[in-house]
Amino acid sequence: MRAPAPRYAANDGVIEAAKAALGDMLVEAKDAVGEVSLTVVRENLCDAMLALRDTPGLEYQQLSEIAGVDYPQRAERFDVVYQLLSFTRNHRIRVRVTTDEEKPVPSVTNIWPVAGWLERETYDMYGVLFEGNDDLRRILTDYGFQGHPLRKDFPMTGYVEVRYSEEAKRVVYEPVSLAQDFRNFDFMSPWEGAKYVLPGDEKAPQPEAKGAPTPATAAQVAKADATPAASQAAQGKDTKTTDSPAQTGAGQPHPGNQPGEKPKDPDVVPTKGEGQNK
Amino acid sequence: MGVELSAPPPPGTLPDVGFLNDINAEISDKGFLVTSTEELFQWARTGSLWWMTFGLACCAVEMIHVNMPRYDMERFGAAPRASPRQSDVMIVAGTLCNKMAPALRRVYDQMSEPKYVISMGSCANGGGYYHYSYSVVRGCDRVVPVDIYVPGCPPTAEALLYGVMQLQRKIRRIGSLDR
Amino acid sequence: MSDTVDKIMERDIDPATGDTSIANYTINFGPQHPAAHGVLRLVTELDGEIIERIDPHVGLLHRGTEKLIEYKTYTQALPYFDRFDYCSPLAMEHSYVLAVEKLLDLEVPLRGQYLRVLFAELTRICNHMLNLGSHVMDVGAMTPNLWMFEIREDCLNFFERASGARMHSNYYRVGGVRQDVPVKLLNDIAEWLDTRLPQLFGDAISLVAENRIFKQRNVDIATVSREDAIKWGFSGPMIRAAGIPWDIRRSQPYDVYDRVDFEIPVGTRGDCYDRFMVRVEEVYQSARIIKQCIQDMPEGPVLTLDRKVGAPKRGEMKQSMEALIHHFKLFTEGYHVPAGEVYVATESPKGEFGVYLVSDGTNKPYRCKVRPTAFSHLQAMDFMSKGHMLADITAILGAMDIVFGECDR
Repeated sequence: MRAPAPRYAANDGVIEAAKAALGDMLVEAKDAVGEVSLTVVRENLCDAMLALRDTPGLEYQQLSEIAGVDYPQRAERFDVVYQLLSFTRNHRIRVRVTTDEEKPVPSVTNIWPVAGWLERETYDMYGVLFEGNDDLRRILTDYGFQGHPLRKDFPMTGYVEVRYSEEAKRVVYEPVSLAQDFRNFDFMSPWEGAKYVLPGDEKAPQPEAKGAPTPATAAQVAKADATPAASQAAQGKDTKTTDSPAQTGAGQPHPGNQPGEKPKDPDVVPTKGEGQNK
Repeated sequence: MGVELSAPPPPGTLPDVGFLNDINAEISDKGFLVTSTEELFQWARTGSLWWMTFGLACCAVEMIHVNMPRYDMERFGAAPRASPRQSDVMIVAGTLCNKMAPALRRVYDQMSEPKYVISMGSCANGGGYYHYSYSVVRGCDRVVPVDIYVPGCPPTAEALLYGVMQLQRKIRRIGSLDR
Repeated sequence: MSDTVDKIMERDIDPATGDTSIANYTINFGPQHPAAHGVLRLVTELDGEIIERIDPHVGLLHRGTEKLIEYKTYTQALPYFDRFDYCSPLAMEHSYVLAVEKLLDLEVPLRGQYLRVLFAELTRICNHMLNLGSHVMDVGAMTPNLWMFEIREDCLNFFERASGARMHSNYYRVGGVRQDVPVKLLNDIAEWLDTRLPQLFGDAISLVAENRIFKQRNVDIATVSREDAIKWGFSGPMIRAAGIPWDIRRSQPYDVYDRVDFEIPVGTRGDCYDRFMVRVEEVYQSARIIKQCIQDMPEGPVLTLDRKVGAPKRGEMKQSMEALIHHFKLFTEGYHVPAGEVYVATESPKGEFGVYLVSDGTNKPYRCKVRPTAFSHLQAMDFMSKGHMLADITAILGAMDIVFGECDR
């Protein structure tokens, strides 16, 4: 590892030891970016955690963190990720279980009481249920908040905003209305599969069909086949192309700028009402 | 340090010597001054802006700094108060979140008239860096009326000090009881 | 008369002793309270003045940062970390840049690493000044706070001279730091460490460390055993005060912490006084680290020369077309981080500040979970303060060193 990140004890043999200790409970173990991740069976989470804590040679005494991650395209969309720390062996390990909105994850509050709030937070942010946590209230979001904000399908700006109402004499909730939308840019370059055709690029050669003589390599053809959506979208109706002269505004004498809309004296901008020079 | 001191200060920065001499002469001549009660109240009000410490987030640290020996805001009669009942001005320092908004309004309602609000920092002014968040009020002026906006993230202690001085100016200029 | 009152109040009277049994009293502390160090709300259940139960309500400063980070590029997300723990901004940035560097497997020039350690330790001094000052103020002493804030002002001036901002420096970058510091600044810091810091800090601590009232308010308040400290996920000065010599800077060194020499103060009783004194000693150790950094710092670049990650200097941009293109790409699209996940924790002044970063190979983090230090400490508030007096809440809170920017995120 070249990066100056925290250097702890080597990962050698950790996966073997974990396999021996966990047995059937272990689904997957991998060592990536210098960190060991174990995926365990959800129902056996507590047993697995106890084994990781108490087996000599593993000894992960502290639970530092529980994080949720949302992958909406998966059947069990949520990961719940536990970071464990061993003081005696100076090592960190990651344990993960997967779940969805309904299947509860066993709570580890009986092993580490610190999990209480961490599970509450995961519940609050993702709606993951924890079985055995008897205090599963919302923790960070507003009193009476609806939804789970860190799910990928929850909009960043949320659904409600607050304002003090002079009529009601209290703070009221209203649907969000933004003065300016969040500027989210698409950084895909047109050469790497952007879903639109740049203006002026319409005549650029489209990927040729299979079998026809082409200078493109086989990989490029395969890639083009695999993403038919891109080329279809390019021919769709809502593309940013100009098909006919009418779309360019050519031929209209004053597009959006009719003579009647103009002020008579170009130096005087008409004001609403009487203006300040009344 | 980098300020050129040899040039004369711009007009309006130094107290008007003639005015002070007149007052001095009047006091030594008659022993009292005559003014309107309104002006007296204004003068007193600008000189004792006790502020409610509504520290919410990062800006609260700069708000403490402006109170500490180096900037010492009490030179201007602005002293921190922990109770809204005793304070004249509320400095909203930091991000106002939806969960906190009712508490902010409650504290504002508890302050006695005349009351002023200084909005400190981008988050309190308009949401700032957190404008698009689902849990942040996009400006504390949606909840309380604001007199002075101090920009910055966070505003330096000098900037807040200047904001307080601007509020004093505003009170002198407007100077009415009803808002 | 008293019978009438009892009848009105419907009190139960024990006929044997004549004592009245009263219900527990629930009071609400905060969310706006000068001793709450921010926007904490505590629902406390009291038996007389004895605390029976505390239910901390957090989230009053929940700004949705983790959600916002998912919509920003890696560079744009960096300033959010300043605003997590706004008392020690650079320590928060440190975790983040190390996490991204780990995913990128990026080498950092040595001078950049030294500068990062130097400013992280200066941040530690700065943070402890605020915490120690407000702690002594919460238990009734005013003067030390004034002196400690003078030290903080000096620190903020140093940050301003290095980065241009007093508090939210945004100085660290993935691959090093934004810009080199002037030599005069390093000289001034070295001189300050020898003159003003020990003088002001020594004076301030001499007023409270052996003070009888201060000890009465802190010794044996909220003692935490080693086992409890581990179970409740303590870290930083809280776990060291409980007697466990655990410091990530020593055990899992990052940047150049393995090249500097420092000691780790450890408490013996695990009470509020120990936590206070651990922090006091850490200030002196930080000063030692800074001095060594200034001495050992080599010359050289401060930011990685990998132009796919580190932005070129403005002067270079005026000379070279490649630099201009790189600058444009870095500040519009940013850099793409290989898919993967890391959990990087550093020793922030308050404890273990971790960043769990999941990347899906794009230029924006897929998930960035922050492990706040205050979350686990505040959660332990209930069992730590059980059986203590109401007035001890401020001492316990002060010794915990809680900042809501990172607790609520």
